[in-house]
Amino acid sequence: MLIEQFLREVTALPGLTGNEQEVARYIADAFAPLADEVRVDSMQSVIARIKGDGPKVMFAAHLDEIGLMVTNIEKDGALRLGNVGGVDPRILPGMMVKVLGKQALTGVIGAKAIHLLSAQERKANYKREDLYVDLGLPYEQVIANVQIGDLVQLEQRFVNLKNNRIATKTADDRACVAIMYRAMQLLKGMRPTADLYFVATCQEEIGGHGALTASYGIAPDYAIALDVCHAQTPDAPRISTQELTSPALGMGPYLHPVLRQKIVDIADKINVTVQTDLMRGRTSTDADEIGTACGGVPTALLELPLKYMHTTVETFDMRALEECARLLAQVASEVTASWGDELWT
Amino acid sequence: MDLKQLTDIDAVSGNENALRRAIVEAARALCDDVTIDRSGNVIATKPGTDDRLPHVVLSAHMDEVGFMIVGYTDDGLLRIRPIGGIDPRVAVSKWVRVGKDALPGVIGAMAIHLQTPEDRQRVLGFDKLYIDIGAKDQKEAERLCPLGTYAAFDTPYTPFGDGFVAAKALDDRVGCLSLLRILENDYAAKVTCAFVTQEEVGLRGAKGAAFTLQPDIAIVLEGTAANDVGDVPARSRVCEAGNGVCVSFMDGASIADRGLFQTMLSLAASEGIPHQVKRAVTGGNDAGAYQRTGVGARTVVLSVPCRYIHSGASVAKLSDIDAQYALAHAFLNNL
Repeated sequence: MLIEQFLREVTALPGLTGNEQEVARYIADAFAPLADEVRVDSMQSVIARIKGDGPKVMFAAHLDEIGLMVTNIEKDGALRLGNVGGVDPRILPGMMVKVLGKQALTGVIGAKAIHLLSAQERKANYKREDLYVDLGLPYEQVIANVQIGDLVQLEQRFVNLKNNRIATKTADDRACVAIMYRAMQLLKGMRPTADLYFVATCQEEIGGHGALTASYGIAPDYAIALDVCHAQTPDAPRISTQELTSPALGMGPYLHPVLRQKIVDIADKINVTVQTDLMRGRTSTDADEIGTACGGVPTALLELPLKYMHTTVETFDMRALEECARLLAQVASEVTASWGDELWT
Repeated sequence: MDLKQLTDIDAVSGNENALRRAIVEAARALCDDVTIDRSGNVIATKPGTDDRLPHVVLSAHMDEVGFMIVGYTDDGLLRIRPIGGIDPRVAVSKWVRVGKDALPGVIGAMAIHLQTPEDRQRVLGFDKLYIDIGAKDQKEAERLCPLGTYAAFDTPYTPFGDGFVAAKALDDRVGCLSLLRILENDYAAKVTCAFVTQEEVGLRGAKGAAFTLQPDIAIVLEGTAANDVGDVPARSRVCEAGNGVCVSFMDGASIADRGLFQTMLSLAASEGIPHQVKRAVTGGNDAGAYQRTGVGARTVVLSVPCRYIHSGASVAKLSDIDAQYALAHAFLNNL
């Protein structure tokens, strides 16, 4: 499958944190022809293995997505909302959503109309508590289809912008799942010796839960987490952002410096431009949990720069994604047991 | 044309060309006398059979709210200003189409992770919002979208719920649809359907139509703001989607002719057409232009309640649009 087709399909599937079955099944099916074995673990992480005699290497990108849940149903049928992961409430007014009730229902997120707001209220953003989903249904039909706790998926589109840029929902982090998918395709023409595990992890958006159990299940010698980082936008502090157009590698105490340097050297060799994303502590990615699992796993963090993270218009550069995949495949094919001798020197 | 075709076309105020072409074509299939006047309005007239009856103009506006490209950032983003009244709080993370080639774009904003607590409170005004079409730098952005390029919300026409539809520009494509349906019929009175420009930026097209047509009676078919969902107290509900066509006694631009207002209410009652009275003096529309251009005209406004009006996803009930048409039709049949 072409990488863009994979992306288009995988970003459309619902997989809100904790309820990833549908997207996990899709990814397991897509990974199967590229791997020696594929399983979905008890948490809904997908683990695809390309067998080898060398060290165990785990790659991890999360498959879950942020969204909303129904917390209350008003007498006029309006659904009040809670968060699944960190949704920015500023993006919600006027957004079309899918309420995953007994059947998927289309709704529009509404807010108190502007002419009902005081001058003071107009100066502030809408809070999530002020917003609601309008299903266009009377109360009786709403409660027949929807119950408190049902999930609400944000608007899904997939649009090609100029310069190979793509805007879509859930590029965080399914674009990085696509990097793994592409790397597995590339590895078909290479000769890796390591024992490779490509893991699409669940429940990252609430704290790397899927990556943690997957790590214990695999007990890797090394790991590379893949996630998105912030690309430059006009108001964002430059120190926290990267150029959109090339991959980045995390650097800081949570990430292993020698493993990182190995990746940088390989990138130099195959002419992949890599930026440096400095992190003074937590990376807020799967790398944090993997790094301390199984007594400690030397872990690196490969990042795809992304604009407008945690919105429905997350935008990335397809060429940067391809470069991440090229680098990942090369690293996977070069890992040897001898790396272990250099880790603490 | 159906409502999907009408809302799929972009016609931001001052740039109604594409919709004007489509409406001229649709109107010519229904009516022999279709012209474009000097304000860019489409004027479709049916002569009628009885010249003792008053000349009635029914009017709906073609234009919609949207954006104009007014500048660029170094890295190729498009600076924007709204055309018509758009609350900036509905703009973030929405899809748009830019320029005559309908380039896809998104309205982005800094990620929540990078916002300070103050940022989260602050409304992102149009000085902080921009459209991203993927241009790599200012030069490419300027080439693709020269200054003054128009952009419109890009929302697929989506039926949902119990007979509702979500789309952009329901204000006032619902009125355009009702006018096209009126043109399918023949009436005793001379009837003109005016599809007018530039309502959203100051009732400008209607002034031209009013001056040229000098109607005896002008009936404005509109979309008006409904705020009936989300635990809104009854006293604050201006009108309710699903309760029928909304007749206004007064709005921000005009006071309805009392006789026409009463006629509409009694006609709706006797014909069994679902209807409601707009319960607040809000908004303003082309009736103001028809009432006070030249020697003036008697006016009344028939509106379809639209939730989330002027956002990318406005919502209306199809039965309310039918009621708007039915009441206008009944009025023409009962002159």
